Amino acid sequence: MGERERFHPLFEHWAGAVRRRLVARRALTGLALGLALAVIPALVAWKTRHGALRPLCALLGVAGAVAGLVVARRKRWSDVDVALWLDDRLETEEAITTAVGLRNQAEDDDEARAVVVSTAATALAGADEKRARPGVLRPLHALAPLAVVALVFVTRSPLPCAPVVAQAPGETKVQISQVEGLKKVAQLGEARARDDAQKQRLEKIAKDADKLKADLEKGLEKREALDRIAKLRDEIAAERLTLGEGEKRAGLEAAVSKMEENDATKEAAKALGDHDLEKMDKEMERIANAREKRDRDSARKTLEDAAAAAKANGAPDVGKALGEEKKALEEREKRAEALRDLEKAMEDSGVASPEQKSESESLDRKGDDATAKKLADAMGKALEKLSPEERKKLAEKLKEKASKGGSQSDPKKLKDLADDLSTPEGQKKLEDELKDMAHEDDESPESKGQKGLDDAEQGADGAEGDIDGQGPGEKGDGPGQPGQQPGQGENGQGPGQGGGKMPIPLPGQGSGSSNDDGSSGGGHHHDTGTGPHDGKTEPVGGAGTLKSRAHGSMNKAPGMPGTSTGFTPGKTGGTANVQGTGALGAAGPTEVDGVDHSDVPEEYREQVRQYFQP
Amino acid sequence: MTNDFEVRLQQAKGAIGILREAIGKVIVGQSDVVDQVMWGLAAGGHVLLEGAPGLGKTLLVRTLAQCLDLRFSRIQFTPDLMPSDVVGTNVLVMDAAQRAAGSMFQVQRGPIFGQIVLADEINRATPKTQSALLEAMAEHAVTIAGQRLVLEEPFFVLATENPIEMEGTYPLPEAQLDRFLLKVVVPNPSEDELCEVLVRTTGRGPEAPPRVIDRDAVMTLRGMCRDVAVAEPVLRYAARLVRASDPSTGDAPEVARRALRYGAGVRGAQSLVLAAKAVALCEGRANVSFEDVKRVAKPALRHRLIRSFEGEAEGTTTDAVIDALLAAVGTRPASVEAERPRGAV
Repeated sequence: MGERERFHPLFEHWAGAVRRRLVARRALTGLALGLALAVIPALVAWKTRHGALRPLCALLGVAGAVAGLVVARRKRWSDVDVALWLDDRLETEEAITTAVGLRNQAEDDDEARAVVVSTAATALAGADEKRARPGVLRPLHALAPLAVVALVFVTRSPLPCAPVVAQAPGETKVQISQVEGLKKVAQLGEARARDDAQKQRLEKIAKDADKLKADLEKGLEKREALDRIAKLRDEIAAERLTLGEGEKRAGLEAAVSKMEENDATKEAAKALGDHDLEKMDKEMERIANAREKRDRDSARKTLEDAAAAAKANGAPDVGKALGEEKKALEEREKRAEALRDLEKAMEDSGVASPEQKSESESLDRKGDDATAKKLADAMGKALEKLSPEERKKLAEKLKEKASKGGSQSDPKKLKDLADDLSTPEGQKKLEDELKDMAHEDDESPESKGQKGLDDAEQGADGAEGDIDGQGPGEKGDGPGQPGQQPGQGENGQGPGQGGGKMPIPLPGQGSGSSNDDGSSGGGHHHDTGTGPHDGKTEPVGGAGTLKSRAHGSMNKAPGMPGTSTGFTPGKTGGTANVQGTGALGAAGPTEVDGVDHSDVPEEYREQVRQYFQP
Repeated sequence: MTNDFEVRLQQAKGAIGILREAIGKVIVGQSDVVDQVMWGLAAGGHVLLEGAPGLGKTLLVRTLAQCLDLRFSRIQFTPDLMPSDVVGTNVLVMDAAQRAAGSMFQVQRGPIFGQIVLADEINRATPKTQSALLEAMAEHAVTIAGQRLVLEEPFFVLATENPIEMEGTYPLPEAQLDRFLLKVVVPNPSEDELCEVLVRTTGRGPEAPPRVIDRDAVMTLRGMCRDVAVAEPVLRYAARLVRASDPSTGDAPEVARRALRYGAGVRGAQSLVLAAKAVALCEGRANVSFEDVKRVAKPALRHRLIRSFEGEAEGTTTDAVIDALLAAVGTRPASVEAERPRGAV
């Protein structure tokens, strides 16, 4: 075999080995660079909380390896390059390069060339592989494992908290198809009005509520929706105060004075003064159902006097309201008297049912219409069960009662009642009358009107809660039950209870809200405290943040002594009576003069000193 | 498998070694100078020796002639030396017999007809005389009275010049210098070498060196030198070096652009490769390496680079420029260079 034939396969073998290692090195370089670069997008993904993208960043390493292969392909060494490399590593003084350049020429052409090829072949045959092959690993490749560790770390690291983006309040759009609260407001248009002027105002409120409802169905900016609801609520609240206001104030006050002169109507007077006609009606209800006739007469007389005083002092609407209240009182009085006489007769006849007795005692104790109605219902049921003998006995008792006198009811009425009971038809008629009595509505018109306004106001609150993503909550009239949220608020005067959806189960947030300055709200006069207890809390928006909302308007009156309004930046140690190192420097509980050592202005130090002076 | 060329290659290497050893018996040290003279001899070019007086230039040439068994002649160049004193002339024939034969004149051959010619202090002769010698060097023939006479091969001129005594001299023009294959700078001896010189020259006279190589061997050597193979990357490297010496090209390094007026030309590149082949031959190799080119770069190029005024004013030598060229011009392609370990030459 000629030297040329020996040289060629040897060279090809070596060239392949050299090229393969160069390709491997470039692929590794690409992999290392790709992985190292992948750390950057992985970090970005982590920072921007695109957690799922983090492992995918490792694909950059694969892309880098592919790029390395492409580069290796494009920069593939020629035979001469490989020969030069081998000459350099094997120190063959360019014999291999010369042989490669001459390999296509016949050996016989030149003896010198044959010698060169022979020298090159001998050098390749005895070459040290470790020495001749280019190294695959480079210091740069150390990046690969480091980058993998970094990628794993970044991938397994928990994502950072979402940044709390401050957004202008109310900029978001709301779109609600059904707002139940606004329906209640819209019903004001059909509510009883005191006069034509009030009728028009109520119709306008109802119309505005309808329009707002329609706008909400289309979509509306949240702050505008809340603003319009607040306006509706203000109008409703203003409507509650129209009785005896302005020029009629003197008439109202005269009526209140009259009523305050009578102990029986003192509470009612207070309710009238507060424009709380519902409460006044309740008070009248209590008087009307009272057993003592003297109190009732006295109250009736007081109402007459108060109505007259109101009219005399220029408040005919108040006078009219009091007149209506007097009528209602008389109706209730008649009903209560009839019920008590019949109940007494039934008890004397021994036909009274235990339920009837219980309701009778309740009526004496509570004196409200609801109990009277329950008593009527119980008596009607007891009458149904009477046997003819018992009925006869009861009729005799009634006749006896009518003949003896002393009953509160009209004796003639009692006699008629006894006549009725003597026949089954009459008994049936009496039962029906008792049933009617149980469902009779004796409420005064003015109270009914105010109840409508209260319903509308509650509806407005509910609508606001729907828009704001917050339930309206029921108002409590006393300390909340265990588990209830104490509230202080615009409407509630005591701790309320969350009847709707509460945003955060934190103290100080109930159905009501505080004024902006942190002082208590103006209070409300219609706290039933009977709201449902099925409230639930919404998820807190933004982890780690606690937000409070305040709906109450700022009291224009000066703040109470010792309070301050507005916001102050609070920080640990910011006050002189707390040990700390805040803006005022280190000051102990007793170191009032600690502020002297701080760099706050003298004027402010003086103020602080005076404030904390024992 | 061993072929004839490889055998002859080893013989040539051996012969050069023997010759170097023989010269070493007379010449103390100066191994680089001896080597470069060997390269010139093997390549078939002429050599210009430059050095201070008394460094053994003349002795080296004379010793070489004695070792080679070649006809030696020496020409001491002086300002009054005429061309005919170098090449020879026609003289009147006084012999009656010859005159009867019809020949009134006969050629009186000058010292140029030697095989190893020592042109001592060549820069002291007039340009006219210098050009007569240089013409013979290029043509390997002289013309006397219209008669062209071919010089006997091997024809090997070794000229010397003294760089320090420049007064009354005629520096060789660049075109003439170009005819020398190599310009060898003879350095001062080291302390040890000087001691050895003192020992040899202050005692009994040294023995005459042996004749170790005959004419045929020299001719074979020159023939083999031309057969030494050169790879294309090596040729390109030589070409890049020469191009880089041209200050008008963008390949030239900053030093070359500043210190040179003209670079080496085609003849310089030829000399570079031929001398590199001689180096390979002297070392018993059949191919030229990058290192061979680097080794001959200075002697082959230093007398072909024409310094600029700035270069002369700054004292930048042509050797310094060649060093810069060697540093600036890479031997291998960039991709291969990038893979080489750091610090590799």
